[in-house]
Amino acid sequence: MISLEAIKERLEGQFGSRLLDRADFRDEVTYAVAPGDWMEVLSFCRDDPQMAFDQLDCLVGDHLPERAAAPFQVVAHLVSHTHGQRLRIKTALAEDPTLPTVTNLWPSAGFDEREAWEMLGIAFEGHPDLRRLLTTEDFEGYPLRKDFPLRGTIGGRIRTELKGKI
Amino acid sequence: MLSKEDLIPSRADKPVFRLAPYIIFIPAFVVMAVLPFGPVGGAPNLFGYRFDYVIANFDAGLVLFLAMGAIAVYGIVLAGWSSNSNFSLLGGLRAGAQMISYELAMGFSVVGVMLMAGSLSLVDIVNGQAGNFWNWYFIPQVVGGLIFFVATLAELNRTPFDLAEAEQELVAGYLTEYSGMRWGLFMFAEYVNMVVVSAIVSTLYFGGWRAPLTVLDFIPGPIWLFLKICVFVFLYMWVRWTIFRYRYNQLMSVGWKILLPLSIVNLVVTAIIVSVTS
Amino acid sequence: MSEPATSGPATSGYISSTGEPEPHGYSVEVPPLEHRPTLDELKERKARTRQNVETTGEILTVSMGPQHPSTHGVYRAVLDLDGEVVVDIRPEIGNLHRGVEKLSEERTYHQIIPITDRLDYLSSFAMNHGYCEAVEKLMGVEVPARARYIRTITSELCRLSNHIMWLGVHIMDLGTQTFFCICFRDREYILDLLEMLTGARLTHSFCRIGGVAKDLPDGFAHKCRKVVEFLPKRVAEYERIVKQNRIYYRRAKNVGIFTSEDCFAWRVTGPPLRAAGVVRDLRKDEPYAAYDEVNFDVAVEYNADVYDRFLVRMKEIRESCKIIEQCLDNLPDGPFLAKDSVHTMQLKKNVMRDAGAMIHDFYQVFHGPDAPKGEVYRATEVPKGEFGVYIRSDGGTKPARIHFTTPSFYHGQVLPAMARGEMLADVVAIFASIDVVLGDCDR
Repeated sequence: MISLEAIKERLEGQFGSRLLDRADFRDEVTYAVAPGDWMEVLSFCRDDPQMAFDQLDCLVGDHLPERAAAPFQVVAHLVSHTHGQRLRIKTALAEDPTLPTVTNLWPSAGFDEREAWEMLGIAFEGHPDLRRLLTTEDFEGYPLRKDFPLRGTIGGRIRTELKGKI
Repeated sequence: MLSKEDLIPSRADKPVFRLAPYIIFIPAFVVMAVLPFGPVGGAPNLFGYRFDYVIANFDAGLVLFLAMGAIAVYGIVLAGWSSNSNFSLLGGLRAGAQMISYELAMGFSVVGVMLMAGSLSLVDIVNGQAGNFWNWYFIPQVVGGLIFFVATLAELNRTPFDLAEAEQELVAGYLTEYSGMRWGLFMFAEYVNMVVVSAIVSTLYFGGWRAPLTVLDFIPGPIWLFLKICVFVFLYMWVRWTIFRYRYNQLMSVGWKILLPLSIVNLVVTAIIVSVTS
Repeated sequence: MSEPATSGPATSGYISSTGEPEPHGYSVEVPPLEHRPTLDELKERKARTRQNVETTGEILTVSMGPQHPSTHGVYRAVLDLDGEVVVDIRPEIGNLHRGVEKLSEERTYHQIIPITDRLDYLSSFAMNHGYCEAVEKLMGVEVPARARYIRTITSELCRLSNHIMWLGVHIMDLGTQTFFCICFRDREYILDLLEMLTGARLTHSFCRIGGVAKDLPDGFAHKCRKVVEFLPKRVAEYERIVKQNRIYYRRAKNVGIFTSEDCFAWRVTGPPLRAAGVVRDLRKDEPYAAYDEVNFDVAVEYNADVYDRFLVRMKEIRESCKIIEQCLDNLPDGPFLAKDSVHTMQLKKNVMRDAGAMIHDFYQVFHGPDAPKGEVYRATEVPKGEFGVYIRSDGGTKPARIHFTTPSFYHGQVLPAMARGEMLADVVAIFASIDVVLGDCDR
């Protein structure tokens, strides 16, 4: 069992200034990394024996239109069963966001990334099967973006030309 | 059910699709013809006339039963195949394989009874069990009787062996695409079959229309047969609601590795005993 | 992989959370099998099947669902079959998608509670509870002791109801029909209790930020105690029917093996994870409500198959009964809703009599609870696994982003990895054993 302080030290010692930001709120620690460091930080978190974050609890996409330069972010919640700790790592993304997939680290990210893609338009490079997951095949738009209306009739109608393709 | 719309899938093989329910339905009733439900032959029994309580006193009644059981499988297989649905096809295939494996065990177990009665006629088999209930064949043929009962469960597609229509796996198996009265015919045939098979079980092993004790002979034979049928129908339903379904490979291993060798052993032992004592 | 083949005295014995198997209180007769495949043999069988398919290429594609009796809703699994053996599965979800996260962003924190009901509608209080824990963590609301105990009792009642329902459905998926009726009969007692407590049988909406909606009604404790005393006997009855059934044993043993490493990688949580020998229960590991004040064991089994998932759930029913009993014994007095006028609703009886309470009530209803800026993630142990709520708040009364990490979402995803190479009938058993509810899955 390693305390959260030790995990912070280890991560900061490894990456130093590449960790852009740290937020401590309600006993939870959040690190912000650049999209380029995303893969490296996450694989370190999983593979390093002092970190051993063996489970990805969820991978959440987010839209912050007030942050003009980087309106999107992806948040990964990691769980370490070995040390009983949780860690949150997030990265800010510009318009037309892309990120490398983490399905090779945690296969459970498959649905998460598909959901983030269809809901927010965040593309994950190298994802084995990046299709729409929860909405219909012909759905237009990205529902979880803040500019998407709550009410409306986009998509959802029966499209006969898609017969046999779904 | 007669007033429901009869849907036929557009890509089904229509003639076969229409034919399949009858192939199941008719054999179920044909077997009834050879079932004795009261005394046959002998002294006048009804207002001074002799009345044979059997529709057709057929010498090879047992063979007819087995043959009709085999024909009914065609109904299932054809229904599954002609529906042009994957679930139906799987159901039909499962039914075909299952029937073949269980009919063997069933046939072998029946031969034991045939040897003891010395006849293939159901009328003679009942006559062979005359007297009190300890003369019934289920005592010497207890192994054969059990095998026969289990095999009929498979023959009827009842639960431990209802893989052909396995509701939770194949939706409804071979009847997935059927609707209206065609579906009704299948269901009707299934339950008629259950009554017929119960009658066969009681005829072969439990004295048919005979009373368990000769002192109870004043109650007419048909009533006794009816009571016995009721018991077996209850048993079939009981089993169907309480027992888990086998997986396909387990079903096959039960059929081929347990029931078939057991029924052959039963047959051999019966044959030796019958030839020694007679 | 040893069998607990013991016949101990008629005392209650469980596998403790230390992992030491203790003798069971009931005699277990494991039917002998001619040959039980080992894990390596199973893996080899899967590899062989795949090879066969690659050479012959004869694959039958079956679309199981959305309208299929055993997909528990509107799950769709496209199966590639080689004869009876499943070569590949492609899960399709989303037929019950209601946009819960988008809806929640437009609502105040109070108004989201009924939405969480509709996630896992079979154990809706547990969902309310998980959500409220997250919001309380965000706002720093202290929950009074009585409310914590009432929450624990209700959550455990939901767990009982969910597991009993699961058992009936799981057994029905394996072909038995009567058992379904037996389980529904017993679930009725729990639903009656929940109805008495919350006024609803399915979607309770009983939890509030900072407490619960109502106090325990008169006579609840007595009635509840009777039910939890009687349920372990019923569980023994279930086990007598199911556990020693030879066909069930052969259908469930060594089917759908999913080891602990696989579980971590695929985020399989809850009973399937504990059936893989992992002592992981958020009620113990990250205690919330009154779970750190009651004494219970984490149910663990070691074979990671369908059979062990059944055993784990049966043990959990017993543990839940123990928890409820202890909570009823130690139920503290005091308020059942925090006195925090910024974040919690006011008691309705005060609203009509007290001017201050009325003002605060107006504030909560028309404005909503004020949350600080920040982000929190709170995971709780719901009957199906770990339910996490991620909230990002920009301040204000509505969450800027809320995400529900529901267990069934990941369990629906894991079916291909778990069932590939097994037979068609096993897919049904495996799918039932991981306990997917589509409201929870599609959100």
